[in-house]
Order: sequence, then structure tokens, then C-alpha cells
Amino acid sequence: MKLLVCIKQVPDLESRFKPDAAGVWYNETDLAFRMNEYDEYAVEQAVQLREKLGEGTELTVLSIGPDRVVEAVKKALAMGCDNAVHIQDTAASSKDPWQIASIIAAYAKDKGFDIIFTGMQSQDRGSAQVGVTVAEQLGYPSTTTIVGFDFDNGTITAKRELEGGIKGIVTMKTPALVTCQLGLNIPRYPTLPNIMKAKKKEITAIPVADLLSTDALATTTSFHPPAKKGGGIVLEGDVGDLVEKVIALLKDKTAVLR
Amino acid sequence: MKTLLIGEYREGKLLDSTYELLGFAAQLGAETALLLVGSDAQLPAYGGTLYLADVASCGEYNPDLHKKLILEAVQKENPDYIVFVHSSYGWDLAPRVAAALKAAQVSEVIAVADGAFEVGCCNAKMRRSVKPATAKAVVTIQAGAFPVLQPGGSPDVRKLSADGGSSLQFVGYEAAEKKDVDLGKAEIIVSAGRGIGKKDNVPVIHALAKALGGELGASRPVVDAGWVEHSHQVGTTGQTVSPKLYIACGISGAIQHLAGMKKSDFIIAINKDKDAPIGEIADVLVVADVMQFVPALTAKVAR
Amino acid sequence: MEVTRQIYWNVGHGVVIPMYILAGAAFGVLAWGFWQRLPIWRQGKALDRFDRYDERIKKMIAEVFSQSKIFRVTDGGVFHSIFFWSFLILFAGTMMVMFQADFFTPVLQVNILSGEFYKAFSLVLDIAGILALVMLAGLFIRRFVVQPKGLEIVKDDYIVLQLLFAILITGFLIEGARMAATELQQNPALALFSPGGLLVGQLFTTMTPGTLLVTHKILWWLHFVLVLGFFCAIPYTKLRHIFTTSVNAFFAPFEAKGSIATINMEDDTVEQFGAAAIADLTWKDIFDADACTSCKRCQDRCPAYATDKPLSPMKIVKQIGELAEGNPTGNLIETVSQDALWACTTCRACQDICPANIEHVNKILEMRRNLTLMEGAFPGDEVRTAISNIEVNGNPFGLAYASRGDWADGLPVTLMEQDSDVDILYFVGCYASFDKRNQAVARNFITICAAAGVKVGILGKEEKCCGEPPRKLGNEYLYQMTANENIELIKAYGVKKIVTTCPHCFNTLARDYKDLGLDVPVEHYSTYINTLLDSDRLTLTPEPFNFTYHDSCYIGRYMDIIKQPRAILAQAGGSITDMDKSGCDSFCCSAGGGRIIAEEKLGTKISEARIKMATDTGAPLLVSNCPFCLTMFEDGIKTGGAEGQLQVRDLAEIVAERITA
Repeated sequence: MKLLVCIKQVPDLESRFKPDAAGVWYNETDLAFRMNEYDEYAVEQAVQLREKLGEGTELTVLSIGPDRVVEAVKKALAMGCDNAVHIQDTAASSKDPWQIASIIAAYAKDKGFDIIFTGMQSQDRGSAQVGVTVAEQLGYPSTTTIVGFDFDNGTITAKRELEGGIKGIVTMKTPALVTCQLGLNIPRYPTLPNIMKAKKKEITAIPVADLLSTDALATTTSFHPPAKKGGGIVLEGDVGDLVEKVIALLKDKTAVLR
Repeated sequence: MKTLLIGEYREGKLLDSTYELLGFAAQLGAETALLLVGSDAQLPAYGGTLYLADVASCGEYNPDLHKKLILEAVQKENPDYIVFVHSSYGWDLAPRVAAALKAAQVSEVIAVADGAFEVGCCNAKMRRSVKPATAKAVVTIQAGAFPVLQPGGSPDVRKLSADGGSSLQFVGYEAAEKKDVDLGKAEIIVSAGRGIGKKDNVPVIHALAKALGGELGASRPVVDAGWVEHSHQVGTTGQTVSPKLYIACGISGAIQHLAGMKKSDFIIAINKDKDAPIGEIADVLVVADVMQFVPALTAKVAR
Repeated sequence: MEVTRQIYWNVGHGVVIPMYILAGAAFGVLAWGFWQRLPIWRQGKALDRFDRYDERIKKMIAEVFSQSKIFRVTDGGVFHSIFFWSFLILFAGTMMVMFQADFFTPVLQVNILSGEFYKAFSLVLDIAGILALVMLAGLFIRRFVVQPKGLEIVKDDYIVLQLLFAILITGFLIEGARMAATELQQNPALALFSPGGLLVGQLFTTMTPGTLLVTHKILWWLHFVLVLGFFCAIPYTKLRHIFTTSVNAFFAPFEAKGSIATINMEDDTVEQFGAAAIADLTWKDIFDADACTSCKRCQDRCPAYATDKPLSPMKIVKQIGELAEGNPTGNLIETVSQDALWACTTCRACQDICPANIEHVNKILEMRRNLTLMEGAFPGDEVRTAISNIEVNGNPFGLAYASRGDWADGLPVTLMEQDSDVDILYFVGCYASFDKRNQAVARNFITICAAAGVKVGILGKEEKCCGEPPRKLGNEYLYQMTANENIELIKAYGVKKIVTTCPHCFNTLARDYKDLGLDVPVEHYSTYINTLLDSDRLTLTPEPFNFTYHDSCYIGRYMDIIKQPRAILAQAGGSITDMDKSGCDSFCCSAGGGRIIAEEKLGTKISEARIKMATDTGAPLLVSNCPFCLTMFEDGIKTGGAEGQLQVRDLAEIVAERITA
């Protein structure tokens, strides 16, 4: 069986974000990068499946972006993917979800992947579109936001996480695509022997121009911090003073503490 | 400008979020048509065109089929925007419709401004303005971002039916874990977020809740980490609450949590980060170390 | 009357040949017993502890004969040392008699054991014998009557004590019998020089001469057999420590305290990291189990053991020995248990006090390496998060690396990126950079340096975690990665000297980074400030204060920096009331060994135990010199209910307040 997991390298969300020169995305200076958290669950699930299926299974990890994404790719290899594809694109962040999905679909279309795993959304853009769009372009069934995954004899049984904590149970036959939600599993910490083996695993580099053939369907016209909300009070200072102020506010603005 | 609004029906009920779509359309100043895979026993209080497919035969979750139904309605209505709520139903279905139409999709819109859609990004810390470049566009709106609008009246129902196989089978729902705590009824909620530091600190937050006569709430990360039980979780995958007073301790303000509590009457957030997104919706942001401030407040309140 | 003794009196010279044959056999058993243990030790990996053997021999002889390490703990230590010397004297005395009988007399026809020398000889031996008996009695009472907590009584203890008592008592009985027959009446003046024998001899005065002679012969042979039994028992009982513990002094490491093997990451033939089985340990690790006499001094000093964690350093040493002998392929980590392994704070109190030169800490680190590097295991999710934060942002808090240097805004500090021509590179460390309480320490250190006219540079956002907590938790890979990044920068900037306010950064940069190619002098601020004061670059106006001082493990025990911080605080006007456990005997704050990023879930809080020791001194102020200690003590004061009673402050804060304007 052939498995694919698509990952994205995103900035660490603790960072302070500033608009780039064009004002349409974040400036990359002083940002720390890491694998998109949703994708960690996707990689872990893919690796677990790969281990379960054993001999004859091949798990490929794919990522689009500049050279720095290779670090995230290596982590996926160290978690247990067999080989990798790095679609080299220094301007990946300026492509819209349609383009990203098209690139992935163009790569995947003749490879015969049985199951494709992606994260449900990225932590930076968060549009939650790429996974399903890839499936639609490839003509694969897909389902999203899975917190449970089982594969047996050509059929996937997935649990979708719905609002209010309810789950929806779905089955589909492969080839298929799933997008993964946080909590699907516990992503493993790569062991050192696996980290060292990963150094020898093949990373195929493909220039994005080889795979991209569409324009963006939407454009980002501005990337900016939210306007400061009027009316909200910010209190700072000594803890004792803050307590007094909050108690006064509670008495004044709410019915609590009359 | 014309919009086709895709309502949602789940576990036998028409969801209220359907009316937020109307609120959104009103802000756009657009004409509306509604599509719903539902039942004529529960029609929305809406006087416009309603494309209705029978949920009993189509199923509540059947993306292939629902997509076909929507495309049919799109053919008939020729809308500029096809609008979904950004819910587990919407974000699953919208890209399928967008792909079929090769239309731009803008996800989780929170506002409309200057002809562009404003969406959150980077964990709600920043904003993006997005403009579709295609004639038609698919839009999903953030739950709770737009006001509920119930225009009233009876819809002009146009029945839809589609058949054909589905590439996936919906087996059924699995109930959420039993809730010992019904936060939905609580008047005061004090919630613990990751910023409290460790599991041992949860009692400190709980103590404040008790001192105020309220309930303990929690953000998702805290529940995932096992510090608090799921029944206390506030947010899209937990409970949606609207107490008179909501105190968020060490909660940064991820969208999913905000969605669950932003309707609270008075919100106090305690966070050592002045720029935490929760400051966006909080009436008061106390910039302090949670573990220093909360015990001090509890002590004063208890007196 | 000739002042001498007739050797082989009564037993006759006929005993000589059987005696030597039997003795030879006994030594054969002794040698064979140890020979059998060789394959057990050899199960471990190779380790060169035979280099510089002349230094090693000197060390061994000095330690063994001075019993210096035994003496460090007086309970049991005094008894053992005096017993050892006494028994040694008795043994030497018996050897002298043997030489006299079988060499000096027949070959050289000289009688050394005569005259004044013989008088001294007799007296010394008798006193030694009495002392030995008294000390042995003391040891017996300690073990069986007082029964110190944690001191296990095993079968060997019965055997050894009975054997030694029997040997000593029969020795005196033989002497008494001989003196009763040949000296008491015949040479009473000489008899005074053997007071023990004189006393015991009274027992035999009523015996008939014939009975006395027979009794004496029996006693002689009995004593002989007991002594042979003693030799045979050595390799098979605790008595083996006579050799193994002594020889362990020879095998003691020369490397600086706290040195850990640096794994070669380039060697891709290595498939096993850390220790999961006996074969993964070194032969020395297995030999340590034989050198261990279960004296429990390590256990007594272990802060984890003292607070009810499942860790006992002694137990781990013994478990390794048991596995090596009984079940070599057994799972070492399961035997020792993860809870025990993760509980260690690497405070080194165990290794520091061990009289047998056993190396406890690195065994635990090797097992942690296996857990982390081979299994991806963590003591808790919070640790995994912290490790992940170090990987992404270079600090365990997960705060944006770009803000690492923000604490220094507005201060007279140079960013190396802008100007690398500085007097010292201040390696700030994660806590002083990001933690509010510890940022105060960093700022005060800058104040001190500025007053002394020292140009201080920092790496700011280019600085990364020194790697010590991950390394101590077993994550050698992350350690080397972050360390190499720091080293590359330090070298690129041509740094001449590094000073740090964190003992962990200090140990790591000064010692561990050498293996990775950094060779720049590194100093901890506690000695650096001392230097500034001594050279008059800094003067303090003393302002009196009462305090107690906490010697952090990584400064005190690891680096022997004990006097200098006290000297600084004295110059600052401080009056110190030391805690009982201070200096090298200091009690850990709990945050070492990577545990600063872990939650203390088992037992009671180590920090609270230490805070109690501080409040017991009556001092209102506790001074420390480590960001981990400061953090743990601030917590410990709150959770231990000492708020208002005790305040904790850092050395830098005290000094900065007293700089002469």
C-alpha cells in the first residue's frame, strides 16, 4: 500500500507577528518554525498505519516551501515515514489554498496513493481547505476533523469530532483522504536511532514550477493586527491594586458581590 | 449581489447558526436564498426561497450528495456567494462545492470591510483581508461572528432531490461524554487555561469559582492534558456558555474557546500577555501572573 | 629472662608445613573466588581505568590506609576506621611472627622479636586487639541493637561478625593460654606489656599444665582454621570489600566531577544508546556492585529518598550487581523502575559521600539515555512540552526566542551581534532571560559589572538553552544540537571569557562543552565577583544582615566553590548561620538533573524540606546562587508556609545593593 502525508511548516505561535514588506503576510525574521500541530497527528496516524501494515507499505511525507521546511520533513522521517518529497517553493506562503492543493494533486495523481493524511488546517492561515480540495481534485472520497481512525481490509472507519463533543462515525473505501484533528493520537517523540536512520532516507526535491499550473483564486490584500477593541480596559500593575480594581468593577458592572 | 446560504440540520434539529448566515447576508447587503437538507416539519422562520432536500433520504452527513444538491441550487439561483457556517459540516462541505465550481473560497470570515472579507489567522492573533478573484465565491463564516437574524415568515419551498451513490457512509453519532456539570446554566464561570501552569494549580481557579458562587470551566488544552474533566470544557467541542460573568484565567483566546464564551455578559481575562487574543473580547484584561492574582482575588472575595 | 617469645611453642615446628599447605589452599580459594567473578564484571563494556597507574596506586594506598572517606561520617565511620587499623596491625604482627619464624631465624639467625622491640610489639598488638574487639562490639551494637533506619541485615553480616569475633577472641585466648604457661609466673614484668593476654591468662591459671597445653593447641588450630575460613570467605561474602572497595579507589575516575560520556553522533554503526541491560553498562558499573558494602551513606543523603521517592542510589547499585550475577539479560530499567530513575536530581550527594568510590550518577544517566533516546519516554507530558519548546524556541518556556535579550533593554549591555569586543560574554541562560524573578538576578549582575567597569556582552536572541536539562534527562541529541549552535557562535565572536549566573550553564560550558570543542575560560559569578572584589575593581559598603546560605549542588559539590560566595557575603556585611547540611553536605533544592522542567508528583517536596532546614537556623534570609534554587525556594516558601518567616534572595541582589557609590 502507498500512503502519503502532507505537512506544512508554520511559525511557532508564541512569536510576535509583523506584516512583511508587501503587507500581505507575516515577516519571517525572528520567527521560529515547527511542524503544523495538526500535521503531527496526521504523521503519527500515518506512521501507526504503516507499522500495522508492515512489509510492502510505503509512506511518503510531502511539504511545500523553501529550504527551511526540510527540517519539518526530517522530523516526519524520524517519526517513521519512509521517504519524502520537498516541493521547493520560496514563495509558498503567497499561494492560495487552491494552488497548494493543485500542486499536491499534480504530484499525487499518478502515484496511486491509497490513503492520504493531512492536518485539518494550518495554524497560521487556518483555512481548512487544502485537504478536501486535494481529494476533490483527485476524485478521492474524504472526510475531515477525525479523532478516531481505523483501517481494515480496504475500508477506513473514521470518527469525526463535531460541536458539543459529539462524534460522527463515517466509513469509506480506499483510495481516500482524511484530515486530522488534535487529539487523534499521541504523536511519538522520535528516538535517536530513528533520527539517524532518517538522515539516510531519500528526500526528492521538485521545483514547484514543475507542478503548478493554476493561478490563485483569491488574493490576500492585507495582513494586519486586529484593530484594538474599544471599551475593553487593560489593567496592569501591582497585584494588590489589581485585585482592588477588579472587585470595584465587579461591584459596579455586574451583580456579583453586591 | 446574491447569496445562497447553506443551513445546517443536525440530530433532527435545524441549527440556530442558520440564522447567522442571514445576518451575514444582511451585512453584505445581499439578496438571499437558503438551502437546507432538512425536514418540512422544521422550516426556518424565513420568507425567501428555500431549496429543501429531505434529510431522511439524503442523510445529515453525506457530502457527495449535499454537494450535488448545492450545485443544483447554484445552477438555478446563480448566486455570487455560496455561504456556509464554518462548522464541522460547513468546513467539510464548502471546499467540495468550491472545487466543483472552481470558485475561490474564503474561510471563517469574521467581518466584511471595504469589499474584502476579514478572517483571523495565526491563532487569532492577526487578521487577513481576502478578496476572491472568481465570479462566484464560497464563503464560510465564523460561528457567532455575525448576528442572528430571524426575518420571520414562511419560506417559498423548492424541493430538491438528488441521487447517486455516495463515496462514504455515515454510520451514526456517538454521544458526547456525560456532563456532570451543565455550564450552560451557570451564571458565573471561572475558567482555567494553559497559563495556570500545571494541574496542581487547578484548585486555585476552582477556589475562585466557588468563592464567587460559580462553576469551573476549562479550555481545550487543559482538558486534553488531563488537568480538568471534559465536562468543564468551554468551546466549540465543549459547551457554549453565556453566563453573566466569565473569568478566563491564563486563557490566550483561541477561536474555538472564544466561540464558546463570547456571548458572556461581562468578561474578565487574566493573562500575563497584554496582547493575548482574549483581550479582543474581554471587558477587562488584567495583565498579571494568574497564580499570583487569582489567590489574592479569592482571598478578598471570600471576606 | 630473655625478652622474646618462643614461636610455635607447644604446637611445634611440625605445624609449619601443613600450615603453609593449608594456607596456600585457602589463598587458592580466595584467588579462585575472585577469578570466578571476573566474567561477571567483564559483561560490561570496556573502560580504561588503568591509565596513569602510578597515580592510581598512590591514591588507593592513601585512601585505604588513611580511611579518609570512611571518617567523613562519624556514625560507624570511627568504629570501622579504628577497627581497620587495629586489625591491620594484628595482621601485620602475625606476619612478622611468620617472617621471624620462617625467615629471620632459620636464614639470618636474627631475632627481631626480642628486647625492647618485642615489648613494644607486644603492647601495640595487644592494644590493637583490644581496640579491635571494642570497635567490633560497637559495630555489632550499631547493626543489631541500634538498628539505624535503612541498614539492612543480611546473612553475610552474621557470618562476618561471628567470624571476626571468633578470630579476635581465640587470638586472645591463645595468648592468655601461652602466657599462663610461660610468662605470667616466669616473666611477670614482660607480661605487663600484653595487658589483654595478661587478663585473659587469668582464666587459665587454675588449669593443670597438661590440660593447658592441650587447650592451647586446640585454640591455636581453631584460630588457624578460622583465619583460613576468613580468607576463603572473602570473595563469597561482604568481606570481599577488603579487596574490591580498596581497589575501587584505584579505579576512580580522573575526569572532572560530573563528566559524562559524550555520544559520538557521527557513528552510524551504533544502534543502542544508553543502558537497558547489563551489557550496556561498563565493567566498572558492575564492579561497583562488588565494591558496595551497603553502608547506605548514599541513600541517607539522597534528597529523593528522604522525601519518599522510590529512588535509592544504593539499591540501584545492588540491583545492577544482582542482575549481573543472576540474570544478565534481564531488563535493567524495569528492575530499577522508571519512577526511581526520573526522581534523581543528579545532586551527587551519593557519589560524594561514598567511601567506596562508586559512581552512582552516570549509571542513572545512562539508563535515562536509553529511555529518552531509544523509547522517546518522558517523566511527564510537561517535560515533553518543555523539550519541544527547547527544540523550537531554544528555551523550555516556549517563549519567542526573539525576545530572549529583552530583559537587557536599557541596560549597559552590548549585543555581541553589534559589537563583539567585550570583556566578558555573559551567558545568561533560559531562566535569567525569561523568568521574571530571575531577570532581577541578571539585571543585578549587570549593575555589578558596570560598577566594576567590565564591558559585558550577551548573545541576546542568538543565545540558546545550554542544553543541560535535556542532557541530564538523557536527551544527548538535543543537548549536542543546541550546544553546537552556541559553540559555533561563541567561537565566531572570538569570545575570550564567559561568565554565567547559572551553575548548570557554568558546569556545561566549562566542562561538557570541552568535548564539543569549546575551550574558553568559563567562570561562575560567585568566583568572578570575588575576583572583582579582590582586585579592588569593586568595593562594597557592608550593610549588616543575618542569613543562611544554600550551597547549590552544581557549585558546591560539583565545583568545590564553597568559600568564595561566603567571603563575598561576609564582605557585604552578612552574618551567616550555616545549616547542618551545608558545603559539600548541602541538600538539593530538587531542580537538578533536568527536573526543573518536571513536576514533582511523588512523595513530599524536596524544596519544602530544604526550606525547613533554612527556617530551623532562625535566619530570616536564605541566600542562593542558582536560578533553579531561587525558583524552587520561592515556591517552597509559599507551599511550605514559611511566607513572612523566610525570604530568599540571590547573591547578586545582595551584592548589587551594597556597591560603594
